[in-house]
Amino acid sequence: MNTTPQPKHDIQQLIGNTLRWGVTVACLIAFIGGVIYLAKHGGEPMKDYTTFPIAEEAANFSAYTTLTGIIDGVLNFTAVGWIQLGVIALILTPILRVLLSLLDFLQERDWLYAAITAVVLAVIILNSVAGIK
Amino acid sequence: MTILAFTLILLAGAYCAGLLGSLTGLGGGVVVIPLLTLAFGVDFHYAVGAALVASISTSSGSGSAYVKEGITNVRLGMFLEIATTIGAVCGAAVAILLNNNTIAIIYGFVLILTAVMQQRRKSDHDGVVGSECARRLKLFGTWPQKDGTLKSYQLKHVGGGFGVMYIAGILSGILGIGSGVLKVIAMDGIMKVPFKVSTTTSNFMMGVTACASAVVYIQRGSIEPGIACPVMIGVLFGALTGARLLKRLKVTLLRQIFCVAILLVAINMIYQGFTGQF
Repeated sequence: MNTTPQPKHDIQQLIGNTLRWGVTVACLIAFIGGVIYLAKHGGEPMKDYTTFPIAEEAANFSAYTTLTGIIDGVLNFTAVGWIQLGVIALILTPILRVLLSLLDFLQERDWLYAAITAVVLAVIILNSVAGIK
Repeated sequence: MTILAFTLILLAGAYCAGLLGSLTGLGGGVVVIPLLTLAFGVDFHYAVGAALVASISTSSGSGSAYVKEGITNVRLGMFLEIATTIGAVCGAAVAILLNNNTIAIIYGFVLILTAVMQQRRKSDHDGVVGSECARRLKLFGTWPQKDGTLKSYQLKHVGGGFGVMYIAGILSGILGIGSGVLKVIAMDGIMKVPFKVSTTTSNFMMGVTACASAVVYIQRGSIEPGIACPVMIGVLFGALTGARLLKRLKVTLLRQIFCVAILLVAINMIYQGFTGQF
């Protein structure tokens, strides 16, 4: 518990900056996507959001539900690709924060909390690759 | 309605949602769901995806300020995250099986609980004698006072708090909102953590919990780009404005009005849910 205040302060600063930069970057990327979206489709009638197509149709929207689809979209400057890249950046921000806390606990040699943080990180990572739909 | 009109109205609505969410301390997601479902008739599965985006946006946006102040108990938050992230995964897995009406009813009841809990007294829980379990887990901490000194606190009932956090995680996975109310019940009500510490720690946890279910929702197609983009940008700017206003405004009256408003929304949601109107 009795760490010197200086490194503690540094990591807090780093975490604060990560959060701030994470949301800023995420919003900027999504904003680019939004501009493309409105420029290309602004005049079209609104999509029907009143019903959610379950599972079977999921294959049709791989452009915004799979990493490869999104990266493809980003490279081709599609609105969907850029907006979803922004969403991914947004999701990564708190995950990055957990990762920084893990490094912090390791540096403090607080093995108990390094393990606890690793479990949290593992739950999120396993969950994103396990393909629960 | 054209896409342009829908996007601009949603952007303005999301800005207000972020503003209100930050002034009342409930987070942006709480307002986003009724805005989308009641005002635009959007399916709940899309609305929940949008609420997740809003929750992460608010949590990270305001979290950057809290970290500096040193109030958040990172150990406590991280320990309880085990319960909320596992809960969030379960909630997200269950959500796909629920129809709109069921989600509306659950949401309505969480709103009522939120309104009721807003009325409680804010306690610092002075002189709590911590439990052995909490001591072993190194959950005791300190938080800065107005005069610059640090005040230490202890806490207890770790198991009970952990259990309620699991439920908070499930609800967050189903509804996309941070379910801050259950987090505060667990920390403030059960574990006797000082009020200020439990709200900031709850804010920290909200982002991580929302991530755990967001990774499922994005692969499911619930996070729709046309909705997510204006919500994300609007809520973030709203929350930033709110944080600035919060330093100058007295929000007691606003919180009371908001409390009545969410009760009305809750009754509306539950009624429409039971009569199968979604």
